[in-house]
Amino acid sequence: MIGFRAGISIAIAAVLCVALAVVGWGARSAAERTIVPEILAKAESVGRSAASLVEVAYGAGIPLDRMVGVPAYFADLRAANREFALIRMTAPDGREIARSGPAAGMAAAPVVHVAAASRSGVPIADIAVTVDPSVISEEVGGVLIDVAFIGVVSLLIALELVALVIGTSGIAALSALEDRLRALAKGRLALHEGGAETRARELVAPIDRQMSDLAARHAAARAAAARAGDAEALAQLDQVSRRTGLGAVTTPECQAAVAVRPALFLFMLAEELTRPFLPRFAQGLAAGDGAIGPDMAASLPIVAFMAVVALCQIPFAALSERMGRRPGFLIGALLAACGYALSASTGDYTLFLAARVATAVGYALVFVSAQGHVVDYSAGSARTTALAVFVRAIMVASLCGPPIGGVIADRLGPQAAFFLAAGLAIVALGVAALTLPAARHAVKGAGLSWRDLKDAARAPRLMALLVGCAFPAKLLLAALCFLLVPLQLQALGYSSAAIGRFQMIYPILMVVLVPVFAAMADRMAARAGFVVLGGLVAGAGALALPLFPGVLVIALALVLLGIGQSMSIASQSALVADSASATGGRSAGVLGLFRLVERSGNAAGPAAAGALLASIGFASAGAALGAVVVAGAALYALAGRGALRPGAAASASASEGGAL
Amino acid sequence: MTRTTLWLIALFALIAAACVAFGAYFSYVTLLNAHRAAIEARFGITAERLAGTAERASSLGIALPAQATLADLLRREAEIEAAIASIDVVDERGVVLFSSRPERVGAADPKVRNAVSRRITNDLGVAIGRVELRYDPATLAVGSAALADDLSVIAVPTLAVACLATILVGLLLAMSLRRSALRAAEPSSWPPAARAAFEAVSQVHARTAADGAVTLKPELRP
Repeated sequence: MIGFRAGISIAIAAVLCVALAVVGWGARSAAERTIVPEILAKAESVGRSAASLVEVAYGAGIPLDRMVGVPAYFADLRAANREFALIRMTAPDGREIARSGPAAGMAAAPVVHVAAASRSGVPIADIAVTVDPSVISEEVGGVLIDVAFIGVVSLLIALELVALVIGTSGIAALSALEDRLRALAKGRLALHEGGAETRARELVAPIDRQMSDLAARHAAARAAAARAGDAEALAQLDQVSRRTGLGAVTTPECQAAVAVRPALFLFMLAEELTRPFLPRFAQGLAAGDGAIGPDMAASLPIVAFMAVVALCQIPFAALSERMGRRPGFLIGALLAACGYALSASTGDYTLFLAARVATAVGYALVFVSAQGHVVDYSAGSARTTALAVFVRAIMVASLCGPPIGGVIADRLGPQAAFFLAAGLAIVALGVAALTLPAARHAVKGAGLSWRDLKDAARAPRLMALLVGCAFPAKLLLAALCFLLVPLQLQALGYSSAAIGRFQMIYPILMVVLVPVFAAMADRMAARAGFVVLGGLVAGAGALALPLFPGVLVIALALVLLGIGQSMSIASQSALVADSASATGGRSAGVLGLFRLVERSGNAAGPAAAGALLASIGFASAGAALGAVVVAGAALYALAGRGALRPGAAASASASEGGAL
Repeated sequence: MTRTTLWLIALFALIAAACVAFGAYFSYVTLLNAHRAAIEARFGITAERLAGTAERASSLGIALPAQATLADLLRREAEIEAAIASIDVVDERGVVLFSSRPERVGAADPKVRNAVSRRITNDLGVAIGRVELRYDPATLAVGSAALADDLSVIAVPTLAVACLATILVGLLLAMSLRRSALRAAEPSSWPPAARAAFEAVSQVHARTAADGAVTLKPELRP
């Protein structure tokens, strides 16, 4: 049975798919009406310029058929502008004087003619520029791909907003009614707790009365059978009770654990908005300061942010436990909002760095508070589900944030994008205040200490996994996605919006492929193999960067990074969970150490990339970091030879929730 | 309950409308960027050619400030294209050396939005100046107005239809939910799985109540 909430979610998704497809179709028409004429105007501009040169030469007394270097000039123009398939110059009598490019297959292609005339106005030549229609289609197609990305982002945001509404306690009445109807549809005759006090009571009460009557009769029948000492009747009654749930009481599913999702999504979206333009913005602020090079200026704010998040992770876990998850989230969001606002308003590089550090402190507090909230309000398999919801909120934010931030930065400026991030952090704060339950204060924070981490490092094979795979994976991710790729694409002339769309490649692949590879790793009982293979694939993409310089290989590197890390990340979490189980009482220490190593990789990545970029350039820097990942995976494989046992405790699918 | 459902439907319709508007606006910005890129590619050719001319003269030993023929060249190139507002050659400090508009010579080059710039380098690859081509903002404005018109013609009705479709689906689902709830009040109209469970329970109760100690009502109607 599809309930109202699921039904409306599916309906909105379907309606939006159709609506956004219609908008996309409209965008295609608009692109054809505006961009195609511009390409033709460019051809005309080139033709006019060439005609002008011909006129100058003719005016200097050089006859048309004695002009030299014209084909070479046309060839240069075609080489610089791939949309020009053919450029020809003909005399007024139709004789071809010069040409560059093949005429075959261009019969139906648009041609722009420009006449060259003498000073007295007599026509001396015709310059014809033929525009390749396939290039026009490619240009329009490229724009439509961008529009399609926007459609995906719109859809994801709509679904998050729907989830936000569905997750509110205001629709408890609907949940109560749907729970009862769903149970009946499954043939369950259990009693349901709650709902009688909601607005659905007039619909819920008759159902509850039926179930109560049935349960009372059942209890009476059982009592009679017991009095009569009829064991067979008792067995039959118990069996039917087990099968139908008769007499049992179902408590409503606790949604408290996933209540953090909308607030977390909005908060993470705020940070993700800054990804495409932050390196360039930092470079711009540092431009007047000769003490720091542009590459270091771009990397330093990212390094500072990641390092603060890494260092705050452990102490803040205990802090948020002591102060309560809700206050932790609220204070963190407020601090981050102040950081974004300061980032937007300052023109000083040092102050900007301080603002990023303040944002990082807030980010770390929000992250550990949200994670702590999920853990506090869930247990067993529900915890895995709740953690998966937690991770998905972050992944969807990382998908939607960069393209939106890029467009805002292009259109309104980076300051506006930072102010928007501040606004989103405040909205997240408001949503958290409304949706998170009142704080449960711990008497004494039972957080991790550095000693716990030291003890955890003795877990079998853990350090090989962390140093060989977990650290390099985050190192490459942060270096490539957050620093190297944005800077390189910027150097190639791409806008912030386009950079944001490139940054979507990794999270899209992660969202789609992590569950697939996690299930495969479980089914094949080859988690260590998937970790190694994932490292090799992710590293190979970065290693390919120097081979074919250009944007395609950058996209390929991001695709391979996404595929490789989606292969390894869930299996890696499962192996860490195995290690945690093996250590008995030190499991929290193992998980804490894992997070610390990962976060350190996040901080080290941009630092290493900034230093390498300044000395050996983009492609070599990427390849060097790719080599570290490949070497780490190979070392882990060598270190684990013979020790890889199939069928260990934790499942990769179940660890998907802890994959971030 | 009805109020809650109607409130929810209105909220979902608003979300659908907001997301269509968001998609349309961002599509507009994407097209606008593509349009700007196409325009700037067109003017970039001219700027590139002028930078190349200055570089060739520089490699023959003529310093950039001494390339007096550039003034005529800039004027000629600016006259070719009506959408070009001005073309300047500026030195490495940003001072205008030559311009298609002579009154600009000697002025500091202010940064403007609707401009295309190309570096002029010497044989050692060191920047010695820039060609700055300003184009008429109306060129961009015409395209942006056309894009806005084209997209709003599509997006506004689509937004309205998406909103109405969400309301319609929401109402249908709400009515279906209400019907299911009313049916659930009577075991005779329960879903098949619930009726089967009820029958199983009734049969067991009937067997165990053979001595008449327990009576089961109501009976499930066929």
